[in-house]
Amino acid sequence: MRNWLRTFLARNGIGLSVYLLGAVALWVIVMIILPQLFMLDFSFRNNWQQIDPSRMGGPDDVYTMVNYHFLAFGSPNNPDPFNVVDVTVFFRTIVAAICVTLFDLALCYPIAYYLAQVARGGKARLLVLALIIPFWVNELLRAFAFRILFGEEGTINAILMGIGILSDPIDFVREDVALYAGLGYAYILLMIFPIYNVIESLDKNQIEAARDLGSSWWRIHRRVVIPFAKPGITSGCTMVFMLSAGALAAPQILGGPSSLWFTQIIYQWFNTGSNWPRGSAYAIVLMLTCVLLVLILMKLFKVKIGEIGR
Amino acid sequence: MTSGSVMRIAVGFYILLFFSYLFGPLLVMAFTAFNSSEFPSISPWNCFTDEWFEVLVKDNQLMGGLKSSLVVGFGVVLLAVPIGLAASLLITQLRSRARSVVYTIAISPILVPGVVLGISTLVFWERVDRVVLGAQDGFFYDGYFMTIIGQSTFIAAYSMLVFLARLQRFDPGLEEAALDLGATQTQVFRKILLPFLKPAIGSAAVLAFLASFENYNTTVFTIVSESTLTTVLASKVRYGINPSISSLAVIIIALTLIAAVVHEFLKRKEERQATAEALITNPAVIKASRSRRPWGLPIGALTAVLFVGVLGSLWMGRNYDVDECKVRVTEENRVKFEALKQQRLAEAKAKQLSSSQGQDSAVDSKQSSGQYQNIFAPSNLGQQIESDSGAEPQSETEAKDAKQYQNIFAPTNLGQQVESPSDSD
Repeated sequence: MRNWLRTFLARNGIGLSVYLLGAVALWVIVMIILPQLFMLDFSFRNNWQQIDPSRMGGPDDVYTMVNYHFLAFGSPNNPDPFNVVDVTVFFRTIVAAICVTLFDLALCYPIAYYLAQVARGGKARLLVLALIIPFWVNELLRAFAFRILFGEEGTINAILMGIGILSDPIDFVREDVALYAGLGYAYILLMIFPIYNVIESLDKNQIEAARDLGSSWWRIHRRVVIPFAKPGITSGCTMVFMLSAGALAAPQILGGPSSLWFTQIIYQWFNTGSNWPRGSAYAIVLMLTCVLLVLILMKLFKVKIGEIGR
Repeated sequence: MTSGSVMRIAVGFYILLFFSYLFGPLLVMAFTAFNSSEFPSISPWNCFTDEWFEVLVKDNQLMGGLKSSLVVGFGVVLLAVPIGLAASLLITQLRSRARSVVYTIAISPILVPGVVLGISTLVFWERVDRVVLGAQDGFFYDGYFMTIIGQSTFIAAYSMLVFLARLQRFDPGLEEAALDLGATQTQVFRKILLPFLKPAIGSAAVLAFLASFENYNTTVFTIVSESTLTTVLASKVRYGINPSISSLAVIIIALTLIAAVVHEFLKRKEERQATAEALITNPAVIKASRSRRPWGLPIGALTAVLFVGVLGSLWMGRNYDVDECKVRVTEENRVKFEALKQQRLAEAKAKQLSSSQGQDSAVDSKQSSGQYQNIFAPSNLGQQIESDSGAEPQSETEAKDAKQYQNIFAPTNLGQQVESPSDSD
């Protein structure tokens, strides 16, 4: 370590070394690690700040599992065996995020393959540009656009009723159709680009060889393209899953009145609930679950974390 | 038809479908900005108007949010880009094991949900404020400060990725040569590395600004009592909306399109220069440059069509008066509704009469009131008008508009009106 530091100093000079090490230390320690640790610490505490600030730091300010217990079992006088509302919302959020991810994968894989292997030159570049443009528009505005489309008096209902397919408008928002369509839409780009980047580096000759040897297009994809694109697929799925499980804007705008997203519950603990420790505990549970699922995915597909984001 | 052409058609159709999913919602939203209807929608098209842009500009909340978004955006650029640069330079100098550890930690903020980042930043700096400064609402517990820090946590990782991508193409020989020729470390950094990274610094800054500008999940926790454009937008969209938000979207989409066209133009120019230089040494490149040609035409044509379209609509619109149109639409709706009301009343009266002629009045009246509720359900009304006024092309518009009168002619209201005359019978 000391050796390394010496060569580092010699190579970069004092000023540059201080900048490099200082900036990275600031980032990694003060901005990434410490806040996470403090949040973890906070999640094991009572909400004295709101209940009775004078007891903060006193003998009563001890570590407790009360917040995690609340997530699992609800308040002490909860008649149900577990906290029905929060636990249901939690699992629905995770399952829905997985569904959104699979939907995006199915939707984006053909496009990514087309852009990377079939389309050429200017056309490919134009399509890529067209892909990027919608994602410069604010996330909230995109959700807003879906609300216009899917509202009870929205465009889709108007069209369906105009054609005569429907006699009464469908409440897409209540049925959560709007939410899933909006979430799937929001992260298309993050699914396409990792897959596109990998498939683009696949040698065309491999595909042609498989075709010459008589493989059907389905078999080519299953045996040649998909195994090759695995890092990109994993990377895209990770990003989409994480972002949709952690999404807040789209559920707030597009979510039905009776269905919550788990992040909305966290948000409520912080805003209207004024119980930061409990909100922190919920956030930790969400984060750990997501990270665990992603690690399992990577293990299954034998992809290292270092390959993500490239 | 061969299977190949079937396949090609299917692929084309899929791409068409995909891009309509991509652009459809944005287009619909853009159109709603020009409709005079109070609620953002296109299906009851009332009048073409630009009043929502005025409403947008006069919206103090949004404009205040925009200002603080700009402040936060610049703050994030100033903090995140240097950090990302330092991290990328450090990572390239680390050996394999340490390298993957630092890399994993550095990209972890991208993978952590934004909500969690916001919460941890809020909790941490609130504590620092309490412990270090001994005061609540001190310097660290400030919306701008915490938002800049919280956003930079993951935006620094974005800019690091941008720099790493550029550094992969850096030739370390240049550095060594400069050092051999007697340059100091700082000189090498300033004269060789920084100029090489200059384009990456530019794109990292743009990326950082945009990411900050449109961030919501982290900001909503860290901004505390202030508000940025996104938090204002979120509350506006959630509680009561009018098309001025669509007009904001139109502005953003327009800016994006312009930026994309400029970007494409600059890139082409750069490439043309490159081919021109290559031509001097190798005339065979002409072929390559010609193969790209066909796409210049459609883009040019598209721009021309857009230009003509804008000019044309301006020319057409010079005699167009929004207020006149609005008055006309309201008047039309009123007339439609008068007629409808008369007709409904007459029908209801007839029904009431026939039901009161029936023997079992108690049961009948209950049933009939149930029927009335169905008759006067808003959706039914809409359809009825449509069929009544099928001859007019605008019928659908007015039918939808009619809903604005829903409350006046609520089923219960009408029911009472109908019942009262029959009571006197």
